[in-house]
Amino acid sequence: MIKQRAQHGHATGKAIIAEHLCKVFNITKGTLRRTKTQVVAVKDVSFEVDYGELFGVVGPNGAGKTTTIKLLTTMLIPTSGRATVLGYDIQRDVTKIRERIGIVLGGERGLYTRVSAIDNLRYFADLYGVPADVRDKRIKELLQFMGLSERARDRVETYSKGMKQRLHLARGLINDPDLIFMDEPTIGLDPEIARETRKMIKELVEKGKTILLTTHYMFEAEELCKRVAIIRSGEIVALDTPSGLKKYVMDTSVVEVEGFGITEKEVARFKEISDVLSVSADLGENKQILKIQTSKGSEIISEVQEILKNSRIYDIKIKEPTLEDAYLRLVES
Amino acid sequence: MSRLRIFFSSAIFAFRAQFEWLNPTMWLTMKFVISLSQMAFFVFVGLFIKGPSAIPFIAIGNALQSVSWNTVFSIINITSNDKWGGTLSILLATPAGRLPIFIGRAMIHVLDGILSVTISLVFASLLFGVNFGQANALALTITVLLTAFTMTGYGLLIGGFSFYFRDPLIFANIFTFILLIFCGVNFPVQDLPQPVQAVSYAFPLTYGVEAARRAIDGGTLFDISGLLGSQLLVGLVSMMLGYFFFRSFERVARKTGRIEAV
Amino acid sequence: MKAEGDMPKMPQALKVVYSAFRMAMLHWIADPQWVIPNIIAPFVFTTVALTLFKGSTGPFGLYAILGGGIMGMWGNTLYSSGFAIEFEKWQGTLEEVMAAPSKLILVIAGRSASNAVFGLTNMAAVLLIAVLGFRVPLGIENPLLFIVALILTLLSLSALGLIFASAFVLSRSAQALTNGLETPLYIISGSMFPVALLPFWIHPAAYILGPTWGVDAIRLTASQEYASQTFWTGMGTNLAIILDLAVMVLITLAYVVIATVLFKMVEKRARIQGTLVEA
Repeated sequence: MIKQRAQHGHATGKAIIAEHLCKVFNITKGTLRRTKTQVVAVKDVSFEVDYGELFGVVGPNGAGKTTTIKLLTTMLIPTSGRATVLGYDIQRDVTKIRERIGIVLGGERGLYTRVSAIDNLRYFADLYGVPADVRDKRIKELLQFMGLSERARDRVETYSKGMKQRLHLARGLINDPDLIFMDEPTIGLDPEIARETRKMIKELVEKGKTILLTTHYMFEAEELCKRVAIIRSGEIVALDTPSGLKKYVMDTSVVEVEGFGITEKEVARFKEISDVLSVSADLGENKQILKIQTSKGSEIISEVQEILKNSRIYDIKIKEPTLEDAYLRLVES
Repeated sequence: MSRLRIFFSSAIFAFRAQFEWLNPTMWLTMKFVISLSQMAFFVFVGLFIKGPSAIPFIAIGNALQSVSWNTVFSIINITSNDKWGGTLSILLATPAGRLPIFIGRAMIHVLDGILSVTISLVFASLLFGVNFGQANALALTITVLLTAFTMTGYGLLIGGFSFYFRDPLIFANIFTFILLIFCGVNFPVQDLPQPVQAVSYAFPLTYGVEAARRAIDGGTLFDISGLLGSQLLVGLVSMMLGYFFFRSFERVARKTGRIEAV
Repeated sequence: MKAEGDMPKMPQALKVVYSAFRMAMLHWIADPQWVIPNIIAPFVFTTVALTLFKGSTGPFGLYAILGGGIMGMWGNTLYSSGFAIEFEKWQGTLEEVMAAPSKLILVIAGRSASNAVFGLTNMAAVLLIAVLGFRVPLGIENPLLFIVALILTLLSLSALGLIFASAFVLSRSAQALTNGLETPLYIISGSMFPVALLPFWIHPAAYILGPTWGVDAIRLTASQEYASQTFWTGMGTNLAIILDLAVMVLITLAYVVIATVLFKMVEKRARIQGTLVEA
């Protein structure tokens, strides 16, 4: 089914429609004794993304985020289910989709380190069929946008991590795609660079691009995305705007306790209290921090003091639930 | 740990290391296909240029040279695998005596080398019609054993100083293949330009090839004793030098703190 | 390389091949030492042949030099083209390349062609040794046809390289056999001695290799002396050359068809099992 598209921003239909996508891998291990196992990377994923939207997919490692992206970008064929990207079917219209999307897989790979940035971009431009006259102009613009113009002719192996990331991003934009898939774009980056990357992502959306982003940083999803899908074990457990998701935990507050001398034993006791939904503990050597999610609110403080009577309590805070709390709740329940 | 135990566990380690790098398919390939095709190649070239009389000379020469795949080539690759694989630092951190490790690992190559040469000699006889009718079995056997042993020494020497370099594969290739030029494998050493001939006698293989030819012709152990003696000497010197490089590399590594990916 | 924007309009497929070729060249310039292991064996074998040849009469010098060059090209085809896809994996670029709309076979074709060309450096080195070290007289009787034959042989090698590249990815044991294939290929292709010398049952294997015909043609263009040993004895030299080239072209086309099928299998496996695209 081919939907009509006018200009960007005025397109009809959805940028992405995923319907019950499922991907099962058959893995054979061992050389002498071959054992076959099935790994369900994506169990059942359905969602839709509008044009011009910045859509987030959040989940723990192994939840199926990367596999979902690979399915939508035609890098993998689904075991069952269907999807359309920019109106094209992911199994029938593979080339058309690939020509029109950008893929940024993150990390430091995806670049030929022994050659220059210009050569890298030129190569991928050719692979994406960018016409020669447009190509050179666009490379120049992209390098400028990414702040790499001065070092454009140096070998990529001489670049810093941040520069490589920006070049990676530039490569994902080489065919001027309307829809860009980004898989954990800020993972492993210094906070400074991560912040800059997020800024660039926002700028791209302002220009009218549609972006699907995966991440396991909740604050990033909250900052950037219009809507967020939370994925766990190959299934979407929630899909809403960040404020919508917080409603899952609206009935709860998070009591944050900072102290010394708190051990696993005390943590376990907290977990036993009814009305305590979850406890996450950071038990460091010099300081321990507990985050107790509870529907009891401030009433729980007396129990905190009781359980921790043999430890030192430095601080107790009661906080508004964040998206991270919603996420933890949904993912760990 | 007793020295004997170290010796054996090193040998087993080398055996398994060999199989890690050379999976069974590759090991079999090397054993049969590479040696045979190399021998065939030169036999045909010799046949083409010089005629049928060249065949036994070339076949025997290549049969002996086949030892180099298991001794020289394998050793250089394994020592480099150690370095790159990061196991070298672990090995050097042990208090175990160095000599037993060193020699223990070498033994597996010697055995492998003997096997290669034997198979190649069988090829020479069956496929290229080399006549073993008058061969002196004892002399030939000792020659093969000694050649495998001394070429392992040569391999350890090259492996030893290749520790210092980044691209051991280039070394492995060069020092395995140049044997074809210098050791009287395909043509007598005398056919080389005069000034270069001296180099030939630095390789244990040169003596082994000549001794093998004489043994197959009927020469006795006594006839070839001079050659074998020289071969043994060169082989032992190589092994000692190899050991020296191994130890000095260890010293350098301890001092500079750099082992892997030097 | 000239500045950007100098390319005339090309069909997209050729553009991809050229781009991959260019990228491979850039990598070679960055790391020229990687060719060395591939050329040591041919180099040594040629030296041995030239030494054996000393004092004999006959067109052996021709065989030695051309043989050495061809062997170098074989070596490159086998190793560098064979591992072309693996190379992308080691670089970390395989996923990005496979995600692009261009067909993988075109990308690898470009790389394969560059490897055949690198083999020419081997021929140059061998030439140097032969002329300087062994004083072999040089002379090509038909330079134009020589170049045509050489180029077509390079194309045939590239096409074969495509088969190696895909086969080595589809089967681990195919990879392990690489080491064993080198010398047999030297033998079967008649690079350093006529195929006629080999036992008759090997001849079919020789004839299905496109480059075997190409080598025959190249030798014919270089020297009349060779005419007695060509496959087409009794026919005029020029006719023999054309026949050689025609056969090679047909075989090469067959290679391309086989390679296309194999590459489809590679892409299918990558998209279904995801194994090729695992880091």
